Parts: sequence; C-alpha cells; structure tokens
Amino acid sequence: MTKGTPRGQAANNHYDGPGVFLPNFCASHTLFLVVLIAQLLAFILALARMPAPEGFWVALAFTSLFVQWVALGTVMVLCLARRALATLPPLRAAGAAWLIVLLVTVLFSLLALWVGAGLGLTTSLPMSEHLSFLGRTLSISAIVSAVALRYLYVQHQWKQNVEAEARSRIQALQARIRPHFLFNSMNTIASLTRSRPEAAEMAVEDLADLFRATLSDRDTLTLGEELELARRYVRIEALRLGERLQVKWQVDEALPMDYPMPGLVLQPLVENAIYHGIEPLTEGGVITIGLSLDDTRLMIKVTNPLAPPRDRRRPGNRIAQDNIRQRLELAYRGEASMDTSEQTDQYQVTLVLPRRNA
Amino acid sequence: MKVLVVDDEAPARERLAALLETLNQYTVCGSAANGVQAVRLAEETQPDIVLMDIRMPGMDGLEAARHLSQMDTPPAIIFVTAFEEHAIEAFETHAVGYLLKPVRGERLQSALEAASRPNRAQMGALGGTMGETSRSHICARVRGNLELIPVDQIHYFQADQKYVTVRHEGGEVLIEEPLKALEEEFVDSFLRIHRNALVSKHSFSGMEKNAQGCFEVVLKGSGERLEVSRRHVAEVRRFLKSL
Repeated sequence: MTKGTPRGQAANNHYDGPGVFLPNFCASHTLFLVVLIAQLLAFILALARMPAPEGFWVALAFTSLFVQWVALGTVMVLCLARRALATLPPLRAAGAAWLIVLLVTVLFSLLALWVGAGLGLTTSLPMSEHLSFLGRTLSISAIVSAVALRYLYVQHQWKQNVEAEARSRIQALQARIRPHFLFNSMNTIASLTRSRPEAAEMAVEDLADLFRATLSDRDTLTLGEELELARRYVRIEALRLGERLQVKWQVDEALPMDYPMPGLVLQPLVENAIYHGIEPLTEGGVITIGLSLDDTRLMIKVTNPLAPPRDRRRPGNRIAQDNIRQRLELAYRGEASMDTSEQTDQYQVTLVLPRRNA
Repeated sequence: MKVLVVDDEAPARERLAALLETLNQYTVCGSAANGVQAVRLAEETQPDIVLMDIRMPGMDGLEAARHLSQMDTPPAIIFVTAFEEHAIEAFETHAVGYLLKPVRGERLQSALEAASRPNRAQMGALGGTMGETSRSHICARVRGNLELIPVDQIHYFQADQKYVTVRHEGGEVLIEEPLKALEEEFVDSFLRIHRNALVSKHSFSGMEKNAQGCFEVVLKGSGERLEVSRRHVAEVRRFLKSL
C-alpha cells in the first residue's frame, strides 16, 4: 500500500479510532475554546446570582476564577489521559471524561473552601453552607459537561457520516459498470459459445478479471496490472465490434510496470473512447492508447475519433472522468493532472502522473 | 415467415440467426448492420418480421422502425435491446414486441408468434420516446418504394399545396409532411426563409436583392435562388452574420 491512497491515510491517522470523539485537549485551539466557553458559563452564573451583596463585577470575578480553574484543570487531566481514553469505546470514554470533570470540580470546590477559610471569608458559614456549595458546583458541572460531551459526540457522528458517505460514493462510482457493456458482452459470449468456443472461454476469463478488479476494494494497482486490465477490456470489445474497433498501443518500453497508481483509471478512459468514439461510427475507427515517460512524469494519452455532431452519443454526465479526477486528487494531492482536448474529429484525454520514487 | 435481423454487432446477428435456425417455420432473409441498411433490405426482401437492435450507429433502430412503418405492407417489428430503460417503458405501454439481450430461445419464439404489425399510434408513441432527437434521414416514397435521404444532404424543403419538395444532392422528391413539423424537428439545422421554404444552414452562400427589389438566398453549389419573405429578412441576415 502506498502512502497517499485514502485508505493509507486513514490507517496512518491512528487517533481516528471508532471510540475517539473527544477533541485533542492538548491542542491550543481546544484550550482556547474551553476557556471561552468557561468564561461564558461564568457570565451566566454571575448573572443568575444577581442581585449579589458584593455587586456584579466582584461576583463575576470570583465565579470566573473558580470556573476557569475547574476548566483548565479538566483540560489538563483530559490531555494527560488522552491515550488511555482513546482505547475505550465511545460510551465508556464519555463516562470517564464526565467523571474526570466531576472529580476536578470536587477538588477545586474543596480548594476554594479551604482558601476562603484561610483568607477568613468563609469561616463564619456553617457546615451546611459548605456542603450546599459543593452540591451546587457539582450539579452545575455535571449538567454542563454532560451537555458538552453530548455535543461532541453528535458532532463526531455527523463528521463520520459525512466521511462514510464520501467513501461509499467513490466505491459506488468505482463499481459502476455500463449495463450496456455487461449485457452486450454476455450476448457476445452466448453467440460465441456455438461458433467459437475457445474465444467464448477467453471472453469469460477476461470479463471475470475485469469484474474482479471493479468489485475489489484495492485502491492501488500497479501500472502493469492497469495495462493488462485495459488490454482485456479491449479484447472483449473487439469481439463485439469486430473490424470497427482498431486499437493502436504506443507503450514505452522503459515503463516501470511496478509503478503504483490508483486502480481502474486507464480502463474507464478506454471505455469512454470506445463508447463515444467507435460505437457511433458506422465504419468504426482507430483508438490510440499512448503511455510515455520522462524524468519526472508518466504520461497517459487516450485518443478517439469523434462522430459528426448529430451521430454522437448523448454527452455523459462525465461520471467516469469526475471519478478519476477525484481519485487522482486523493492519491497525488494536486501533483497529477487530467486534461481533455476536443478537435472537430478527435478527442483526447491526457493524464500526467508524477513518477515519484517508484 | 421471412425474418430480417438488424444489429450493428456481428456476434449478435449470428446468435439471432442461429436461434432462428432452430425454429423451423422461420427463415432469415437478410441481416443488416444499421438502420439505413435495414430499410433498404426490407424494401428488397419484404420480410414479415424484423428483429431490430435499438442502439446502432448512423440510423438507430427506433428511427428505422418509423421509416419501415411507412411501407405498403410494413413488417412486424420486434425490438432487441441490451439495456434501454426508457424505450422499454414505451414498449410496455404500447405492446410492441421487445426482447432483451442475450435473447432466450423460448422468448424469441413466443415474441415471433405474437408479432403483430405496429400501428401508427404505437409508432407515434415510440417517436415520442426519442425525445428531442431529430431523424437522420427523410423517408420518401418513390414509385411505391421507400427512399432514404440523409438529412445532411438536403438543401431545402419547399412547400407547394399538399406536398413538400425535398431538394437534395441527388435530386428531388415529394413528401407529405407539413413544413411546420419539419421546421420544429430540424430547428437546429434548417432556417425558415419564407412561408413556404426551409433552407439547410449548410447551404447558405449569401443573400442578394433581385431586380424586383426582393431579397433572395443564394444556395451553395447550385447557385439556385430562393425568395426570402420580408418578415424573415432580419433573421436570415443575423444568421449569415453569425457564420
């Protein structure tokens, strides 16, 4: 597996396990967000206590001090406990995080009472007042952290859904086979079983290989495998289209056949060339498939004739091209390109892939 | 019963022929690789039934069927298709025979037995399924035979009372279609220059004023002149400018 394929990335990013919905509390932007939310909470609490005997600003200052201590303490513990939490399933991780918040709250509540006593602020209060302070801080902390955890969990789920959707879309597109190709091939095979059994046999084998590649979840094939698939595809179509299909292969001898590339890139281009270029022409035509090489790049060119406008197939919705472009982008991060050029009677697709250190 | 097999793929034709051979009351009277060949062969061999592929280069099966339905004794048509969702919907609602590839022997047999001649309404409905695509050929009856004229070889249509004259590279023929319908069908390739004339956009060479002060379109090649009515002058001028 090469680096750069979508699967490879997911594997490298080992923090992305199923249970990990907590953000990275060691990151500074998370810390900033927590401080901000803690401050907003302090505001709400101070507002709720109005009219306070000591006045709003003093009340806000004390509340902020306390809430920030609890928040920062929690962030620190969660940051330290991150690796341990990452191994837990989501529900347990949430429970553990919640308990951590409560523990930190109790700790700082006691600390606040102790400091208050030391400064002579809370000595006059009876024991029941101490307990009620503890109870209030714990309840507020329990509710607020539960809401926060729920929010993080839902957000994480949403993100996962979006990602899964994107992945399944790519897979669906990959699995997309023109039904026409399938049924026409079956028809060809049915016909050949009588007249040329050995050709039928070979067609079945080629078709099986093509479908195996299409249905496989391997993202990466070697250039050699890609070429082989395209050759098999052309062989099946040649049985069906006979003389009408002529293919010129221009393959550079020096091609690195073990060069890894996203699978099923060449075959769909050839399929498009036949579908739009050869099938609409009564007399058929020539498709040129060229693969060449320079110091840094690998070039793939597929050229097909174009029928006069009124005989052309309805322009597809470019599913195949968009899919290839998307996969090249995922695999090469902008280092690969795909361009098309159209002249009056000819259409060409050019792929340029970086050679990397293959 | 004579059966004409039409498909652009040789193995598909061979398969249908092989299946027909096993059914003794049917004989293959010919096989064609596209719509144009199909219409010509149907003229020549007068089949009872045509097995017609839909997707073919040049003229597709639906258009060929439309032309065949103009014959004196049109053959029954059974469409054969690999996968053509929309067309199949149309067949189902109008009960014209259709078969899916690869064709099964018993299905072929029952379709052949049930084959009935499609009526005009059915063909009209099939025409509707072709959507916005216009015909590639115009079909004219010349002394009882069908003649196919490629639309891109037509210079102009000119209406005269009941008939429309089709002037094309190989001469001229009369058809019975209203000019209005032709104008709508070929709006992309023909331009109305007069109440009675539609001219192919390829055929314009220029516009000139004649001795009487009327505008005339000069056609390419033949140098033939056709009158432009006053209300179409601006449009023709705009078109000539865009060339």
